[in-house]
Amino acid sequence: MRAVRRAVLAVCFGLAGAVILRLAGGTATVPEQGGWRELAGTDLR
Amino acid sequence: MSAPSVVVVGAGVLGARVTRELLGFNSDGTPAVDRLTLVGRRPARLAELSGPNGTPVRMIEADEPPADVLGEADVVVIARAAGDQLSVATRAVSAGAHVVATSDDLEECRSLLKLSSVAISAARSVAVGVAMAPGLSCLLARHATALFDGVDEIHVARVGAGGPSCARQRRRALRGTGVEYRDGEWLERPGFSGRELVWFPDPIGGADCYRAALADPVLIVDAVFGLRRASARMAASRVDRGTFWMPMFIGPPAEGAPGAVRVEVRGQRNGERHDVVYGVFDRPAVAGAATAAVAALAAARGDLPHGAHGLAAVENPVVMLRELARRGVRAATFVGSREFGIDEPSEEQQHP
Repeated sequence: MRAVRRAVLAVCFGLAGAVILRLAGGTATVPEQGGWRELAGTDLR
Repeated sequence: MSAPSVVVVGAGVLGARVTRELLGFNSDGTPAVDRLTLVGRRPARLAELSGPNGTPVRMIEADEPPADVLGEADVVVIARAAGDQLSVATRAVSAGAHVVATSDDLEECRSLLKLSSVAISAARSVAVGVAMAPGLSCLLARHATALFDGVDEIHVARVGAGGPSCARQRRRALRGTGVEYRDGEWLERPGFSGRELVWFPDPIGGADCYRAALADPVLIVDAVFGLRRASARMAASRVDRGTFWMPMFIGPPAEGAPGAVRVEVRGQRNGERHDVVYGVFDRPAVAGAATAAVAALAAARGDLPHGAHGLAAVENPVVMLRELARRGVRAATFVGSREFGIDEPSEEQQHP
């Protein structure tokens, strides 16, 4: 009985941890290769 | 042509900024408007705005704009909360005014587009979804199409919100059903699905974007012919993911947080595939208000097509983009970098 209770508790903690990590996790970053240039000159003619 | 008489309906963050933009001057130094009226529901808010704007603005406190006020207007700019604009737009067109509606509510934009036949018969323009996104996003998409022989795909992404009403609408959009256009069919997808890492102009950088009930695809497909795909996504955080189903307990900053919009257009040029990315970084209320003000002045000049359309239907977007740049809303284009082994676009890829 005790072992079952421990197993259930472990599963609950695992699920709660996964939810917290999912909410707190950062953006999946892949560096963008390049930059931005303001539209000017021939772009706006 | 003499300066127009403009009525702004709604005195929130966006309405106040539109009023301020319209109080400015044209590039030749002449006043942008002849007469400016601001209609609001809250007396305290109107009193607050009457100070900085001074006497040139006529303030009217009313739940609905009076018929005589709409009747004497050349252009009516509706800056009320999204979902509360259709009735004013219908009355304004019937009264003979051009309309600029700032709503970004998907269903309301669809309803506003249905005013087209009424607007055409009255020889008036109803500009639908005129803020940062949709609005400026549609204008950038239209500008980019000039670089292609044929455009296949247009994908819009946005980050940020204007005032409190805009922030609430953003939540509603994430809870709603997103629409995507694919090979002649409209597909419905649940909000907060389809996560995609999108890169916005600095300093926003990368942000995870999701599907939401956004009006950009509907407005773009209405105006750009031959499209095979159109979609829109909105940036949201992990906290949004956990709380988007709840009402808003904490609103955004009074003038909104910094935001950005990114428009990616794909198509053919000279028989080859090309991809052009435009973006703008600004506070959504600032960029949206400038876009609405510039659209209102364009409508008064007769530069917008008759009927009800988004800004993707503008014939010459360059005039409006130049005026926006003069007012401080500057668009940028994504370019490669030699540092990463990607060359800058050739002259051929730039506007002729």
